[in-house]
Amino acid sequence: MSLYLVQNQSRTADPTPYESKLAKAIEQVFGDGGHSLEALVDGLNEIGIHSPDGSPWSQDSLTAEMARLEQSVNGGR
Amino acid sequence: MARVYSPGALSAEQIFATGMRDQWHAVCPSDWVERGAIRKLERLGEQWVLYRQSDGRVRMLADRCPHRGAPLSQGMHLGDRIACQYHGVQVGSDGTVLSVPGMPGCNLEGKKLVRSLPVQEVGGAILAWFGTDPDVEPAPLQIPDPLAADDVSAFLCYVEWDAPWRFGLENLLDPMHGAFLHHESHSMFGGAQSARFRIRETDRGFFFEKTDQRGVNFDWVEFNRTGVDWVDLEIPYPSTAGPGGPFGIVGMVTPIDADRSAVFFWRYRRVTGWERDVWRFLYRTTLEDRHWAVLEQDRVMLEHMAHDADQAENLYQHDLGVIRLRRMYKNQAEEQAKALTDA
Ligand code: FES
Ligand SMILES: [Fe+2]
Repeated sequence: MSLYLVQNQSRTADPTPYESKLAKAIEQVFGDGGHSLEALVDGLNEIGIHSPDGSPWSQDSLTAEMARLEQSVNGGR
Repeated sequence: MARVYSPGALSAEQIFATGMRDQWHAVCPSDWVERGAIRKLERLGEQWVLYRQSDGRVRMLADRCPHRGAPLSQGMHLGDRIACQYHGVQVGSDGTVLSVPGMPGCNLEGKKLVRSLPVQEVGGAILAWFGTDPDVEPAPLQIPDPLAADDVSAFLCYVEWDAPWRFGLENLLDPMHGAFLHHESHSMFGGAQSARFRIRETDRGFFFEKTDQRGVNFDWVEFNRTGVDWVDLEIPYPSTAGPGGPFGIVGMVTPIDADRSAVFFWRYRRVTGWERDVWRFLYRTTLEDRHWAVLEQDRVMLEHMAHDADQAENLYQHDLGVIRLRRMYKNQAEEQAKALTDA
């Protein structure tokens, strides 16, 4: 019997282009040292990655989007 | 007289090779056994069948029909029992023969003729008690504390390796490989490549830790026996992983047979609120792949080691944790073999 060896076990589909871009931008902001919510919101807006409705991020819209993605991203399990 | 299959009096060598008895072991991810599903698995060198009853509870039986030994895993799920495909004998969740359709009233009915293991689900995995005496109650299972903590978020990563279980566990008791094998990785590039270690006793196991570095690389591991054997360890994230500090791993390694193992890694982080959501988002989109690259370095190394690699070692101070672990399991295997022979 073949052994089970599956790389992505936390999701059931690949990230969408939007999710990939957002993840990369978040890592960039964190990498620059901004670990507060405020710094993350400002950093993302500076990079020019906007919220799904096209407006700049606010703390509320970003936490709401993260909570949504955490529930639904890629059929996350 | 009715017969119940058992592997019999195992030798100490067999127990050491295929895993300690009389303890809990992680068996497989919970979602491997969906409601109404039957799953065949080999664990500790024996064949098992798992099924989830219609009430959601998981059951685990020896995969051997009490009639003529056909695999029950080929059978039919009847909600609370399995019907053997060969001649239709029905076996219930505790291993009792409930019906012999070919010969109603047959004296097999009502007898407990199949070994059934107590199971529990913890952190998205199924754990089972591999007792040697079916009449002895399982020891209490204390859940690894990171998996029970409210402020911890975890993902289970489950893999199977073509390497003996002890290699997998010894690898976790060997923090120093982090600075070498994983030097080119997202999390273990930093820190010194030499160290002095110590063993620190706890009431449920021991720490094996560097005396001169903490929080920089894979610098400590805690081995715990709480009904199930597990390790806890911590590795720093780069700043790109955001707030929440290092990630931890709760690790368990279960023998499939003497040569292969089932590896359970719960990667966890102490995060709540938006920090938790962001970490989970990053884990799914980017971090899981980087963790995977690290885990593959371990797998490739362990799978390529000779199965008797531990026959002519020359160990040094960094291997005290491995020595300690091995001595413990060797002694336990001797004790269990003796108890089985005496029984
Ligand atoms: S072998 Fe299972 S019913 Fe006969
Ligand atoms: Fe490793």
